[in-house]
Amino acid sequence: MAKQYDAGVKEYRETYWTPEYTPKETDILACFKITPQDGVPREEVAAAVAAESSTGTWTTVWTDLLTDLDYYKGRCYAIEDVPGDDTCFYGFIAYPIDLFEEGSVVNILTSLVGNVFGFKALRALRLEDIRFPVAYVMTCNGPPQGIQVERDILNKYGRPLLGCTIKPKLGLSAKNYGRACYEGLRGGLDFTKDDENVNSQPFMRWRHRFDFVMEAIHKAEAETGERKGHYLNVTAPTSDEMMRRAEYAKEIGAPIIMHDYLTGGLSANTQLAQWCQDNGMLLHIHRAMHAVLDRNPHHGIHFRVLTKILRLSGGDHLHSGTVVGKLEGDREATLGWIDTMRDSYVKEDRSRGLFFDQDWGSMPGVIPVASGGIHVWHMPALVNIFGDDSCLQFGGGTLGHPWGNAAGAAANRVAVEACVEARNMGRELEKEGKDILKAAAKHSPELGAAMETWKEIRFEFDTVDKLDVSHK
Amino acid sequence: MARPVQYVGINNEVNGGMTTIGKIIRDAWVFEIIPETQTCEGWNLAGIDALLDKVNIEWDKYGCLFSNLPPEIAERHRRIHDAAIAKAREAGWCGEIETDDEK
Repeated sequence: MAKQYDAGVKEYRETYWTPEYTPKETDILACFKITPQDGVPREEVAAAVAAESSTGTWTTVWTDLLTDLDYYKGRCYAIEDVPGDDTCFYGFIAYPIDLFEEGSVVNILTSLVGNVFGFKALRALRLEDIRFPVAYVMTCNGPPQGIQVERDILNKYGRPLLGCTIKPKLGLSAKNYGRACYEGLRGGLDFTKDDENVNSQPFMRWRHRFDFVMEAIHKAEAETGERKGHYLNVTAPTSDEMMRRAEYAKEIGAPIIMHDYLTGGLSANTQLAQWCQDNGMLLHIHRAMHAVLDRNPHHGIHFRVLTKILRLSGGDHLHSGTVVGKLEGDREATLGWIDTMRDSYVKEDRSRGLFFDQDWGSMPGVIPVASGGIHVWHMPALVNIFGDDSCLQFGGGTLGHPWGNAAGAAANRVAVEACVEARNMGRELEKEGKDILKAAAKHSPELGAAMETWKEIRFEFDTVDKLDVSHK
Repeated sequence: MARPVQYVGINNEVNGGMTTIGKIIRDAWVFEIIPETQTCEGWNLAGIDALLDKVNIEWDKYGCLFSNLPPEIAERHRRIHDAAIAKAREAGWCGEIETDDEK
């Protein structure tokens, strides 16, 4: 009688729970917040996450013998409590660098946040952070130009850049849209911006919009003597069409284009970023859809991961949240991912939600964009929090000025320059902000009117996604 | 809901007249393109659009900025806009409305 084999099932922890393992400098490290189903031991479910995000689906048949499992498997090497939350824990997993294709954030995410997120042993799973080894970082193209090159292209130094999103809520024709851009740029902004959901709808086709906007840029540049730009949104139904729009933007002399990197997709984004680098174009990145992924404290992908992914995939600007203003954003956590965007080396700092040291090697930085619900009264805090290498992106805080778009833009520009000057003279911006703005308004009636318009606003909502350490 | 064919007039506007069209009309008063008694009630949108073109031509002479206006026009701008803002506040408008739809 032939030998009988049992279809035995090994527990995950026998293979993937390796507390004795010391991660290598070349390993990709991930921290997951794991919420197991009732009764499933921590080590078993953490090992399952390591398995199902690496080689777990490869290991059930005889081909194991052909694959060096010990080399390619992910290893859960540590487990930690989540401060103030007994329902979940942190699992730290190391992946060998060879498990992933070089320069492909797509490949990494397909493994780390792929099938494992639907695994039955889990009630919820959140990817909190990733440490990319510098050996992997250097295989990625990264930001097309980077912060310093952008400043050189624009010839603008020593202050945050200023932008404004042009809202199409009134069904602006391309002509009137271009006029609104001109007024904002003429008033003192550096950039205007397409709304993220403006692509090429019937009310305003992309080519028509691009033409009128470029006319506005040329006119504003001629009158102000400054370099100006508009984030022309090239996000499109297909990457071929996206590239066609990018090529046209370059052809008409636009210095910067824009992409919705999550809805447009990471393959498309990486392709576009590489093209921008080859063609001397700046790339502004919007994060539409991020809250679907990052807002739930127990499930999804933390924004600091999405930030790292974008820096690797490529973008010169990325919307970061504002901290102040009415939109979501814990201050310390936001500071953590702002550092992740700009710095060349970021130390582990749990008080900012950073679980790993991150060495970016020589990869250029990304400019954080503070956008949404902000106006001149927020300027002292914005300059203090974001510093010079940032873009402060207004919307209603410019266009809502009762004297019009140019007046709103002038108010923004005077306010930021007053704050930068005061900071450079050693004054404390957030403490003395009111006095600084009032003094500036004496020679800028536009700023004075803006301060009257928004003087009564208070934003007192609490954030949904707090840092775990704040629960201590 | 069908788009209104005719403009309701700046005195009957939402947000106390603090709207894009309201700004166009006030600036048209400032530059004396239309008399201050003209509320544009009953105008169609092509009429408003034509008024916008005339207003833009005037603003272009001054770089679109109040600060560049000559004293006489600046004084008229102050008077018209200050009164409009005060009236709009009484009608419930405030700056926060301008950022309500931001994401």
